[in-house]
Amino acid sequence: MSEILKVEGLSAGYGPLRVLHDLDLVINAGERVGIVGLNGHGKTTLFYAIAGLTGWQRGSIELAGKQIGRTRSQGPGRYTHQIVRQGLAIMPQGDEIFNGLTVEEHLDSGAFTPEAWRTRKERKERVLDIFQPLRKLMKTPVGRLSGGERRMVSIGRGLMTDARLYLADEPSLGLAPKIGSAVMDALLQIDLKGSAMFIAEQNVALLEGRVDRIIGMHAGKLKGEASAASRLGER
Amino acid sequence: MDIFFVLTNAITVACIYGLIAIAVSITWSSLGLINLAYGFVFTFAGYGAWLVAQHINDHPALIAAAGIAMGAAAGVLVCLVVFIPLHDKPNFTTRGMIATLAISLIGSQSFLMFFGPRPKSLPELFGFWTLDLFGVRLTSDKIGIVVCSALMLFLVVRWMRGSRRGLEIRAMMMNPHAASIVGIGIRSTGIYVMAVTGAMGGLASVLLSQTYYIAPFNGLTPLIKGVSIALCGGLGSVQGAVIAAILLGLVEALTNEFLGGQYVLMTQFLFIIAVLVVRPRGISGLLDKAREQ
Repeated sequence: MSEILKVEGLSAGYGPLRVLHDLDLVINAGERVGIVGLNGHGKTTLFYAIAGLTGWQRGSIELAGKQIGRTRSQGPGRYTHQIVRQGLAIMPQGDEIFNGLTVEEHLDSGAFTPEAWRTRKERKERVLDIFQPLRKLMKTPVGRLSGGERRMVSIGRGLMTDARLYLADEPSLGLAPKIGSAVMDALLQIDLKGSAMFIAEQNVALLEGRVDRIIGMHAGKLKGEASAASRLGER
Repeated sequence: MDIFFVLTNAITVACIYGLIAIAVSITWSSLGLINLAYGFVFTFAGYGAWLVAQHINDHPALIAAAGIAMGAAAGVLVCLVVFIPLHDKPNFTTRGMIATLAISLIGSQSFLMFFGPRPKSLPELFGFWTLDLFGVRLTSDKIGIVVCSALMLFLVVRWMRGSRRGLEIRAMMMNPHAASIVGIGIRSTGIYVMAVTGAMGGLASVLLSQTYYIAPFNGLTPLIKGVSIALCGGLGSVQGAVIAAILLGLVEALTNEFLGGQYVLMTQFLFIIAVLVVRPRGISGLLDKAREQ
């Protein structure tokens, strides 16, 4: 089984603040991994570090064998689009969304590789099959949608390309419990086909027994099955 | 007859300054850069078109195309010199403004060095015919200016709405942070934005040279007017810039008619101040939605 994400000795933070402390982490192809922890303990920062969006970071991050982590001290987001183009789909927390674009344009904007852009019609159909309620809303500006619908749009946007690693940051955050679990169901139904998914969540009950393993995060350090080695032995 | 004459003058002027205002608006909202180098872009395109007219051919279409191409080239140059090195550094807004202003000033001085202080004039692009429309005499250059700038604006808006790059630019205008998450490269998109807005500035330069001469420091007035129209319309809004351009064109034409040309800048800025006192975000201020900083 190949390693999709391999993190070694990753530290990251913003300015004088150090949020992540020497993390090691491996995610294999075909795995769905949950990461749980309280607010402010570094889940989002870990995702941002993988995408190169933190203030500074050091340590090694390999995405499908390619080094994407580098020692950076300024310019958050400078290399993010290149990292994303290497096969990272980010479904960000909250409303990282383009208010004035319609749902359809929004999904189009997620299809950034030439191949995905050519086949964007079929891809949109696929997303709409997962998120049925969006079908009626294709021409509506995203700014007018409800919280649950927006979350569907931002997850759907992440599904528009063939990513190797999907990062879903608190997909149920701020949603009514029923809608939150529906969004999570949709996320867990997605056929991974050799890619991997990494889901951050505060509500352990939503992930329990439905993902391959759950990692805990506390004060910028990982607890639990950070490497899949022990798990692989069992299989 | 007088009032129609004033109106047609107003619309002609509005078209030219509107192009620059829209360029300023688009650059601000997508790149977060208040680009004061449009003065340089403007003069660069003017001299480029003049060189083509002198040494290659003075066919009107060729001159207009040369102006647009030189404007786009100057825009890309500004992007390479200012935007790409500075965009992810702290205090980018202030630094970018100072750097682009510097380019404008350096540009003016270099044009003075290369071409000398004598103003150059471009040949007439639109000929010397007139058209009677409902009793109003329209001269060829007025019609040409309005048609050319409307066409340019139409094409740019169409491109922004319909194409892949346009989608990326609009996404960046709304949320630059989310844009990088979706895989939109800020620097590569920046080059496209600056090329297109530069082309708009280049066309404005060629069109204005039908009325004024091309001189090293002639980029300054269009720049000031463009930026102030953009401010007045609400930075980041194309519709706001169009409305503000028409209003300010009207103010300019009325002042010319009733007070005299020397008062134009005064009445225009009084008008802008009045608008900004009543509506601090401009006529349709989208500033806070377009870019939260």
